[in-house]
Amino acid sequence: MINLEKHFNLPIAKNMKYWIILPLVIIVLAGIMFGVYCGVYKDVKKGMNIGIDFAGGSIMTVTLGTYLNDSNYDEYEELIRDAIEKESIGQEVLEYGVSDEYKERYNDNTIVLPNANAGKATITYSQSSGSDDEYAIVFKYDNVSTTYDADNTLSAKRNELIKESVVAALQEKLTDVQYDEIKDMITYENIGATASLDLIKTALMCLAISLAIILVYIIIRFEIWSGIAAVVALIHDVLILVSLTIVFHIQVNSSFVAAIITIVSYSINNTIVVFDRLRENVKNEKKLNAKYDISRLIDVSIKQTLQRSINATLTTMVTIVIFAIFGSSTVNEFALPVIFGLVAGFYSSMFIAPALYYILVTAHEKNKQKRKEKKLQEAAASKPKYVGAK
Amino acid sequence: MKKYKSITILSILCTLIILGTVFAFVSLDNGELGLYNYNAFPKKISLGLDLSGGIYAVYDVDTTTEEYTSLSDDQKKAAIEGTQEAMSQLLFNKGYTEAQVTVSGTSIRVEIPDVDDPERIFELIGNPANLEFKEYVDGTNDLSLNDETGSVKLSRKLTGDDIVNAGVQYNSESGYYEVVLQFSTEGTKLFGDATTALVGKQLAIYINDQEIIHPTVNTAITTGTCSISGNYSYDDAYDLAVQITAGSFPLTLKMASCSTISATLGENAIKAGVIAGIVGVILIMLYLILLYRLMGVAASITLWWYSLTFLFFLAVFPWVQLTLSGIAGVLLAIGMAVDANVIIFERIKEEYASGKTIRTAVSTGFKRSMGAILDGNITTIIGAVVLIVAGTSTLKSFGITLLIGIIMSLISSLLVTRLVLACIMSFTREQDAAYYALFREEEAPVIEEPNKETEMVKEGE
Repeated sequence: MINLEKHFNLPIAKNMKYWIILPLVIIVLAGIMFGVYCGVYKDVKKGMNIGIDFAGGSIMTVTLGTYLNDSNYDEYEELIRDAIEKESIGQEVLEYGVSDEYKERYNDNTIVLPNANAGKATITYSQSSGSDDEYAIVFKYDNVSTTYDADNTLSAKRNELIKESVVAALQEKLTDVQYDEIKDMITYENIGATASLDLIKTALMCLAISLAIILVYIIIRFEIWSGIAAVVALIHDVLILVSLTIVFHIQVNSSFVAAIITIVSYSINNTIVVFDRLRENVKNEKKLNAKYDISRLIDVSIKQTLQRSINATLTTMVTIVIFAIFGSSTVNEFALPVIFGLVAGFYSSMFIAPALYYILVTAHEKNKQKRKEKKLQEAAASKPKYVGAK
Repeated sequence: MKKYKSITILSILCTLIILGTVFAFVSLDNGELGLYNYNAFPKKISLGLDLSGGIYAVYDVDTTTEEYTSLSDDQKKAAIEGTQEAMSQLLFNKGYTEAQVTVSGTSIRVEIPDVDDPERIFELIGNPANLEFKEYVDGTNDLSLNDETGSVKLSRKLTGDDIVNAGVQYNSESGYYEVVLQFSTEGTKLFGDATTALVGKQLAIYINDQEIIHPTVNTAITTGTCSISGNYSYDDAYDLAVQITAGSFPLTLKMASCSTISATLGENAIKAGVIAGIVGVILIMLYLILLYRLMGVAASITLWWYSLTFLFFLAVFPWVQLTLSGIAGVLLAIGMAVDANVIIFERIKEEYASGKTIRTAVSTGFKRSMGAILDGNITTIIGAVVLIVAGTSTLKSFGITLLIGIIMSLISSLLVTRLVLACIMSFTREQDAAYYALFREEEAPVIEEPNKETEMVKEGE
């Protein structure tokens, strides 16, 4: 094992100006990418890849009954999937949207519309439902944004087109079955968002309350400056997590909220370990000499906890990385933000929190010094008066 | 610690761990051994919609009722949302934290995970009914309790909204079951006023605009509970109670469809989770042993113990329904659990390097890392508790999983690791420091040499 403490001689405390560069670059990049995605999809809401949990969509149920069994399930699933995701439907919806009837209504958005999301449907997932006579395949897919389609005219049209497409596909397969019978197999409905904005609101509220209580706790156990530095580091972690999610256009579903909360509740550990070590080192150093160099103590504390921080980050990362490797894309929706958060948490507890702490403490010391000097000056200024008065 | 004592403790612990492992991985089918069925306990962990599927039902709001048509558009929207919320709350209280209730127009779709019989929906949500108390006249012209022409003039109707709970109770005198209603604070007052005015008269109870029963009011009831005795069998009384509880939804609902649904992610995600868990734990163990040798062995034993007990508690604790993010949370918790051990071991290494014996280094190492470990974990506990108290159902469930994970990890890293390490130490000598990956340099470290005084203070704390 390499002795990290020996080879690690970075002056961290005094170099906030360098440590802040990387996070700033990431945040600015996220801002730019947000704009780019908005431009590409011509929809402000598309800057972030919001999933069906938050956006809602449509559910189509194809009740094949006894025509469906476990051995041909995948075959039918694929057949219907292809029919739903047919490219040409998007174009037809667009033409419908700009047809004479709706021209006026959608006029301003004629170009926006197809690119936004009136186009090809994207299936979020499919599942089976019921058994025997009611055996069915259920598909969930995205919908036309309500921004352009408040009364669901377009989404209804799209669902109708998709239904036709599915019926046509099934007719080829089920040649003996009457057209109308196939038609009756298919029902669709719009569904609202399962994770409403309320979830985000509650989550943000929980986050704020937790941060406030954590701040108070750290202030009681440590001091005000470490409390502020630790909480700022946490906010940094969340910002980086969100930024990287935007940059990589990872789909955001309700699990994203869980990812943020996981990171906030765990990444504080790293920072606390560093501050705990610093507190101890300061205590010992004070015994030896009253005037100590806080920046050196900060660097030493980071150095002493470095091995532990690396180990802790590695051991937590290993399970989640394996999960991401073996899991499907949905798994990655959760795993990737968490990995971003873990890395950000490591970075902030090593660089941001200690360096910020240094800035706060020295600023405070300077202020104290200034006030002292001012008092001395005032005292000096008032002295002659006093003498004079005498 | 004496050697024989260590051997006893270690063998008990190992037996427990091996038994736990067997129970976690092996399932017994009935017939094979002629014993009762046993399912590996991690399989009993309740799973969310994405991993296990469940049942769904679509309810349409009855838009023909006067109660609905009299509302303004905003009120209609609010009433539907209120119904949605009431349903979520009902399901949460029954432990289905990952149930989903979505609204589209005037229909409400309910998805309940981990249930495989569609009929159970009636048990869980009930056959939603709306309930109203009326003054009995002749069964057809009964008057609402706020009716000007009646003998009771409450400020508003007395409905299912005013009931917080309905239960079943056996009446030993009649030999039949009764439905017991418990009113809310406001409902208690209204019901008290109504029964005061109706002493000697009859009070009718309507469910879905059908008169169910019209008992005579004997005395004014101001206690907030009343029982409906209608010579019910247990099943009838239970059904009625369920119906009344469900009747506390703000709107009248009709079930449009109901069936089972499969998992949306299913096997792949669970498999990935299990692989990640097992491979992850093994990799972490190897890493710990490589880095800390015998101390790593102690930590590995503890980690295995922790993983088993964590899974066990997830299986037996209510309100835990694992979704995809829940699985990831469990995986993270396993990784995090060794964190405290790493802090302690790094500290022990330092203490040893500063010139202490192995034993003293170990005990001071544990003592001195306690502060950082407790502070770190208490902040995490704060986060979990806030989620449980203030979060919505999904967040609550996540918070509970988190909390179980932290408390278990604190117990394992502070107590179990220490015990195992103490046992292992009884087999080695002072000069075996290298077995623990403990090394000492000739020169003393610059900063890490607390004087005697500090140590006394620390000791005293």
